[in-house]
Amino acid sequence: MRVNPNPLPDLLAALGQTQQQINTDLQQISTGQSVNVPSDDPSAAAELVQNAAQTSAADQFLRSLGSVQGEIQSADSTLSSVTTALQRAISLGVEGANGTLNTADRAAIATEVQGIQSQLLNLANLSYQGSYVFAGTATQTAPYVLDAASPSGVDYVGNSNTNSITLGSHFSLQTNLPGSQLFSAPGSDMFQSIQDLLTSLQSGTGIAAAVGEVTTASNYIDAQRVFYGNAENQLNAQQTYLNGDTTQLAQQQNTLAGADLPTVITNLTTAETSRQATLAAVAGATQTNLFSYLK
Amino acid sequence: MSGLNASLAIALSGLTAEQGALEVTTNNVANVNTPGYSRQVPDLVSSNPIIVDPLTLGTGVTLQSIDSIRDPILESRIQQETQTQGQLSSLVSALQQSQVNFTSGSGDIGSAITNFFNSINQLSASPADLSVRQGVLTAASNLAGSFNNTANNLTQQENSLDLSVVQNAGQINQLTQQIAQLNGQISNLQNVGESAGSFVDQRTQAIDQLSSLVDVSVIPSDNTLTLTTSNGAPLVAGQQSFQLQTQLNASGLHDVYSQGADITSSITSGQLGGTLQARDQQIPAIQTQLDTLASGLANAVNGVQAAGFDLNGHAGTNLFNPPPASGTGAAASLSVAITNPALIAASSDGTTGSNGNAEAMYALSSQAVIHGQSPTNYYSGIVFNVGNDAANASAEQNASGLVLQQLNDQRASVSGVSLDQEAANMVQYQQAYAASAQVVTTINDMMYAVINMTTLTG
Repeated sequence: MRVNPNPLPDLLAALGQTQQQINTDLQQISTGQSVNVPSDDPSAAAELVQNAAQTSAADQFLRSLGSVQGEIQSADSTLSSVTTALQRAISLGVEGANGTLNTADRAAIATEVQGIQSQLLNLANLSYQGSYVFAGTATQTAPYVLDAASPSGVDYVGNSNTNSITLGSHFSLQTNLPGSQLFSAPGSDMFQSIQDLLTSLQSGTGIAAAVGEVTTASNYIDAQRVFYGNAENQLNAQQTYLNGDTTQLAQQQNTLAGADLPTVITNLTTAETSRQATLAAVAGATQTNLFSYLK
Repeated sequence: MSGLNASLAIALSGLTAEQGALEVTTNNVANVNTPGYSRQVPDLVSSNPIIVDPLTLGTGVTLQSIDSIRDPILESRIQQETQTQGQLSSLVSALQQSQVNFTSGSGDIGSAITNFFNSINQLSASPADLSVRQGVLTAASNLAGSFNNTANNLTQQENSLDLSVVQNAGQINQLTQQIAQLNGQISNLQNVGESAGSFVDQRTQAIDQLSSLVDVSVIPSDNTLTLTTSNGAPLVAGQQSFQLQTQLNASGLHDVYSQGADITSSITSGQLGGTLQARDQQIPAIQTQLDTLASGLANAVNGVQAAGFDLNGHAGTNLFNPPPASGTGAAASLSVAITNPALIAASSDGTTGSNGNAEAMYALSSQAVIHGQSPTNYYSGIVFNVGNDAANASAEQNASGLVLQQLNDQRASVSGVSLDQEAANMVQYQQAYAASAQVVTTINDMMYAVINMTTLTG
């Protein structure tokens, strides 16, 4: 039976294969990735596209979440100041209702209530990073303007629309309450109540009723603050979730595409050894034939 | 006397025959590294005997013919596998080049899509902020740029494959001319009953090279061969070769013509077949998917823009220049239509602080706006298809390579020159030659004895 007298092409082909294996291993070691082009592992490559998109989106959600948190906290602390001011107005009103005071005394109290009125106007016109927080979506202009002709002393020129923002793949959050709901809702109009208190102190009658109005308004605003408390809680929870998510996505990326260095290095060593052996075989196998032995 | 002369003639025939056999051995040794060479074997035949009553006497040995040892079935299988190997090698190299566009990195379309939607989410958090809006325009422009780059790279690749098509056609024409010429030489020899030996080897070699370029069907007929492509376009018929022409078509690429007929889509194998497959099927398919993604995304974004209001309270206009209605070329021509950041329609109620429309635009990232898939899902599908095609072709190429290697081994075991065998033969012929020469010497002595027989007296 005749056999192939020329083993060189096969040996060279084997050398080529080994060299290719060595090249692949070196690339994996230098990039640290086992999937460097889609054909290395097509389904892993497709999943990596998704993984990268989700990771990047999660990072963006965290950024947006940070700026929303700032705005919500600012609104909440402003409402706290509003409540404090209203409480001060209430105690001033109680003081003014005391029958032993004279006109001059009540006038002094009224002046202080006027001060609170201005303070409340400023607080209601809170601006955060260039936008008015309590204006609904008309955030470029201050929502409350002084209007002597208005019964409450101010006009609300914002709107009652709200914004929501997506901060997760199944999570979106309303981010604002309009002033029309907070400060000038019918039946709990904070400005109307302060204006009424002022008028009653100046006239000397109906102070108790006016104090009742301010109390109603203050309680109402307290109840509305729950929105902001809820929002902060949800944001904190979402932040924790997103941080955990990015960690998990990073692990998934490593599983899909991370090079298993110990294995790769072992493969490289094996391939190198195999290559050396093949080279020695090529050198030795074809040295002699019968011609060398004929005299 | 005639007995001795006859013996001399027989010894002489031995010398001649062994000399001829030695020449065959020498030729084999000289051609040990010639690609495609089939070892030759001397056909030594006992010469026709004569009858000298009552004896039948042999008349020596004749070197009747020199036979090339080859297995035509094996050679035909090698040609088939060479065609497959050629097709796969050019297909694999094209696909591996294409897939570089889809490796995950910082310029790829996938990250550009995600960055665009990230900028929209930022807009949702601060809809009136001009620098955030400028960020959206920048991200949109980067997105258009990444589509443009990828589409252009693929088009350039098509053009360079086109050059290969023209080159391959030229090489094919050279080979068919060579084969036709060899056909002539071979049939001249075979028509006078001679063995055409090494010409046949050269022709087989040329057909192997041709097989690596194009799919070839070999049809033997009396003393000659006809070659056609597997779909019947003529390449060589006897001593005549049929040239292939290339002509520009409507897309600016070259089509292959044979005898005036367009055979481009009927070339299925060989390097030309693989190159045409990559140029006319694989890469256009990727381009089509990219166009679908680009036009779907642009149209969806433009649609949401139109439903909202910009910073000035006006209805939104197109963010991207509308892609072609057919979708073809959408990826290469995608561009941003807005330069003023105030024109981005983030608002859903006409006010500057509303982000309702920005939210609607962000929602596109997870809506089935591209053929029932979200933009990122569709893109990951493209990545999978490109990688899968490249991986499959590469695996087939390896398998085909192994088969071809094994067939070549078999061919070498049948037709390859073994130096050991030739050395042994050489020793054999040398000894036979020496023996015949010794016989001649002996006969000479015997003749001398006969001649001197008559002078011994006296």
